[in-house]
Amino acid sequence: MKDKTSDAPPESNSVASFFKKRLLLMVGGASGILVTLFVMNTLFDGSIEKMTGTTDWRNILLVNALVGACIFLFVVELRRQAIRVLLTVVVALLLGFLVTFIFNLDSADRFGRGEFRAQVVSDAEPTENDEVDLEYNKRRGGEFNKPKVVAPVSEIAWTFAGREGDVVSLLAYAKNRRSEVDLLVELRDESGALLAAATSATETQVDETFDDLVSVKDAVIEGFQLPADGLYTLYSRPEDIATETVLSEALSQSQLAFEALLLGPIERVNRWGVWIQDAITLILLGLSFAIVFRAQQFSLGAEGQLYFGALVSGIIALNSPHVPGIILIPFIILASGTAGFIYGLIPGALKAYLGANELVSTLMLNFVATRFFEMVLNFQLKPPDAGYVASAKFTENAILPVIVDKTQVTVAVFILAVVIFVSWLLIRRTPLGYEIRIIGSNLRFADYGGVNTKRTIMLVMAIGGIVAGLAGMHLANGIHRQLILNISFNLAFEGVVVALLARLNVLVVPFTGLLYAYLRAGAQFMERDANVSFEVVRMIQAIIILLITAEALVTFFQARQKRADIDEEGHAVESLEAADG
Amino acid sequence: MPIVETRSIHKIYPNGVHANDDIDFAVEPGEIHALVGENGAGKSTLMKLIYGLEHATSGQIFIRDQEVQIGNPQDAIEQGIGMVHQNFMLVDSFTVAQNIILNRETKQGMQIDFQQAVADTKSLSKEYGLAVNPDARIEDIPVGMRQRVEILKALYRGAEILILDEPTAVLTPSETQDLFAAIRNLVEGGKTVIFITHKLKEVIEISDRVTVMRDARKIGTVKTAQTSERELARMMVGREVFMQVDRPEVARGGSVLHVADLTYADSSGHQLLKQVSFNVYENEILGIAGVEGNGQTELAEVLTGLRPPTTGEAYINDEQILGRGPRSVREHQVAHIPEDRLTNGVALWSSIDDNLIIDRYYREPFTRRGLLDINAIVENGAKLIGEFNIIAPDGAIPVNALSGGNMQKVVVARELSSSPKLLIAAQPTRGVDIGAIEFIHQELVDQRTRGLAILLISADLQEVMKLSDRIMVMYEGEIVGVFPNDESLTEERIGYYMLGAERQPPQEMERYI
Repeated sequence: MKDKTSDAPPESNSVASFFKKRLLLMVGGASGILVTLFVMNTLFDGSIEKMTGTTDWRNILLVNALVGACIFLFVVELRRQAIRVLLTVVVALLLGFLVTFIFNLDSADRFGRGEFRAQVVSDAEPTENDEVDLEYNKRRGGEFNKPKVVAPVSEIAWTFAGREGDVVSLLAYAKNRRSEVDLLVELRDESGALLAAATSATETQVDETFDDLVSVKDAVIEGFQLPADGLYTLYSRPEDIATETVLSEALSQSQLAFEALLLGPIERVNRWGVWIQDAITLILLGLSFAIVFRAQQFSLGAEGQLYFGALVSGIIALNSPHVPGIILIPFIILASGTAGFIYGLIPGALKAYLGANELVSTLMLNFVATRFFEMVLNFQLKPPDAGYVASAKFTENAILPVIVDKTQVTVAVFILAVVIFVSWLLIRRTPLGYEIRIIGSNLRFADYGGVNTKRTIMLVMAIGGIVAGLAGMHLANGIHRQLILNISFNLAFEGVVVALLARLNVLVVPFTGLLYAYLRAGAQFMERDANVSFEVVRMIQAIIILLITAEALVTFFQARQKRADIDEEGHAVESLEAADG
Repeated sequence: MPIVETRSIHKIYPNGVHANDDIDFAVEPGEIHALVGENGAGKSTLMKLIYGLEHATSGQIFIRDQEVQIGNPQDAIEQGIGMVHQNFMLVDSFTVAQNIILNRETKQGMQIDFQQAVADTKSLSKEYGLAVNPDARIEDIPVGMRQRVEILKALYRGAEILILDEPTAVLTPSETQDLFAAIRNLVEGGKTVIFITHKLKEVIEISDRVTVMRDARKIGTVKTAQTSERELARMMVGREVFMQVDRPEVARGGSVLHVADLTYADSSGHQLLKQVSFNVYENEILGIAGVEGNGQTELAEVLTGLRPPTTGEAYINDEQILGRGPRSVREHQVAHIPEDRLTNGVALWSSIDDNLIIDRYYREPFTRRGLLDINAIVENGAKLIGEFNIIAPDGAIPVNALSGGNMQKVVVARELSSSPKLLIAAQPTRGVDIGAIEFIHQELVDQRTRGLAILLISADLQEVMKLSDRIMVMYEGEIVGVFPNDESLTEERIGYYMLGAERQPPQEMERYI
């Protein structure tokens, strides 16, 4: 490798790297702009009038531009690794699709059950016979394979009396449009011999001949001339479902579900708002974890810090109804950050000076914080006349100002932008950040180099706490506008995934937070719009986590490349990426 | 007819490292065959393939002209191959005899026949002149004897071919001589020995033939009688190597480090340093010789603030430095090349640039007005990479992409560029290739000539003798001798002190301290 370095002219290297950098910026910028345009286009169906007709459309555009900026950062920061992150997500989605498909294999079952009617239509004079089930032109109905019934009806054989020469039509049809049962009908004589059968109806029959028919799936035997006087049987049951019907139904249902998952969150402005507001919380939590994990401290304290931040900001909000918002809001921000700082400092100090395992201590402290929150809420903050456990609604001055009408997208967007910038500054541009990175890389090396590792470990956990405290403030004063039980809704731990997916890079966290929030929001709409339960979405999320863990394998295979081209510029890039991860 | 032969052996590790590239290697029966090469040249891999610890990607292995598939060490042992690893594979709490018969026990019913084991050990020991005490526990016996136990263990399993992996790394000179005598005995008794090392002097002394490996390839096999150390070094490195360091005479200056009655006991109360007192002067390299584990590590770590002393003091230019942590020590212009660079000396996943500022990142020009100055950091990296000849495309790549030698150069570059008054260098060339050793040695000597005081701790006695102006011997946490490094001082003489067999009278020691 020595020879290669001396042979290669240094200029060519730097020129190549210059162009690579340019290309990278261009790819990043282009993807950012494309995503912004795509989101705007889907939101407003591509119509400029519709956009300008929406209140606060400028702010929507601004927020979407910020989303684009997050994409840009993602591409520029992770470079080739960005593809890997996307692949991880795509593979997880595909596996999720498979799961959805499997769970939808029963969706064709609806053709096998439902309310139905049967009728023998004839112009002939009905025969008087009280023993038979059907009379000409009288409907009779029931429900096939009704779920959760001890003995469901799976077929019917109803008798009717006919005379020789009567022209009858036998109908078996769904009761209404809600019932999708696909029927067949048979005409049998007294001995049970089959005289005629049908599995479907023609368009004409549905539209013109018989008013009662609902669709072509109904079954009709039209104009059958009875051969003799006597009792006949109308036999009907749902048709057997063909395998291809089962598969194609499952496929189309899964497609429907995934359409809801992938496009649902940007269909309408209010849905888009759900995505953005969730993303803000997740990004804050992701940042909190990314900062702490960067120092190799496996503190899971964000949950507790979030509750503490929410509680403090809630108490302040409830007790200052007359302070103008311009003063109160900054004060609440400061206070929630401080609360998080203190609640992060505790496990930090325990770890640094008493050697308490941060994983255990933070989990315990989370427990303390959530119970304390509940206690205060229950006994102090709940108005006496309230029907459920929640504080009073905050007054307008304590609520983060909304920037997009009919959503809960608030100025938190800007607070978040500042937090991201400061986190980046901290990690990459301050001596403390250097200490954090070095401790994360090799604690003993940091000790050897004279870093006060105890102080840094304590601080990094407290700083993570600040960000988590802000997330609590966002939930309390931005989204719920009151304190409620279970305010974090388990988002805190999903912050871990966001941080890991971003490879602990604070500039990538915004993207992964958006992505993850998008999947979460999409999941909600998938559940709402399609026949897929939230559990499937949870599975997709779990698969993503699994794939991230399995990425160690990818790194393993990448080591092959390493030796091959050790001193090419590409190598430096690859290695750096490895270093980030 | 070779007794062991490999043909076109390739070994590619799953991570893509091509460790053996088309190796044709043959050992004649009854010879001592040295296998030399720098770290990472692939010699250990080749031996692992023969011993069944790794499997070849392609190629054939022949034992006594029969092609064999060696799936695991058990197969190798059945073929009469024994291997003595660098790190001994012994059960510390068992006796010597128990270790030797382990897994080959003679039983009487359900009971292991220990009398038989002791008897077997004794006869084996006598036969090959490998003196051991069958009833001693492994934890109580010295390293040299442990090694003999390992060899006996292999012989007890019927080894005809013995692979010794860097056997002298842990031995003192006189123990090495004992080992060589034992090896000659073995060969006379009809055994074949493959001897892995990177110490060329030993190769010349003991082997019949030498195979040199470099960068996973076999460079050649030569008769020892027809080669020289210099020639072998050239084959190993691929270019001319200057084995000698140019050490100009300079008068030493005033005392920089003064250590007085330093004692250190670990948490379990073991006295690891006992009343250690000495001085290190300007323009001087003070080398500490000693078998590893005699307090050298603790001395370096106490002096650099990584461990608190139990009692005693250390002064840099009359200022007490102990007990205030590593940063305080560093601010007194003490630099430290740590013994284990992977644990202490570098952060593997951080960039070279970041690794080069661990002792100075918080000062100007690296931090200005509370923010890191990235340009200054990158410039510092580029400057040191150039000055210390670190082979890397730029300072942004993580240290773990570097070879061992270049990693060590990163450490040396950082420590020497901090303009220290005192450098504590522990095992500065351990696990480093010859080219880098040469560079580091020259750098240390140059700095010393320019005025630096250096405390050199090394397990490699030749290194200590080559570089030091004075040599201090440590044995069981004590200083047992201090000598000026002149013509009269021999390795053998230091060896006696290293083993605790001799001790300098206090008056004489006083003269050189």
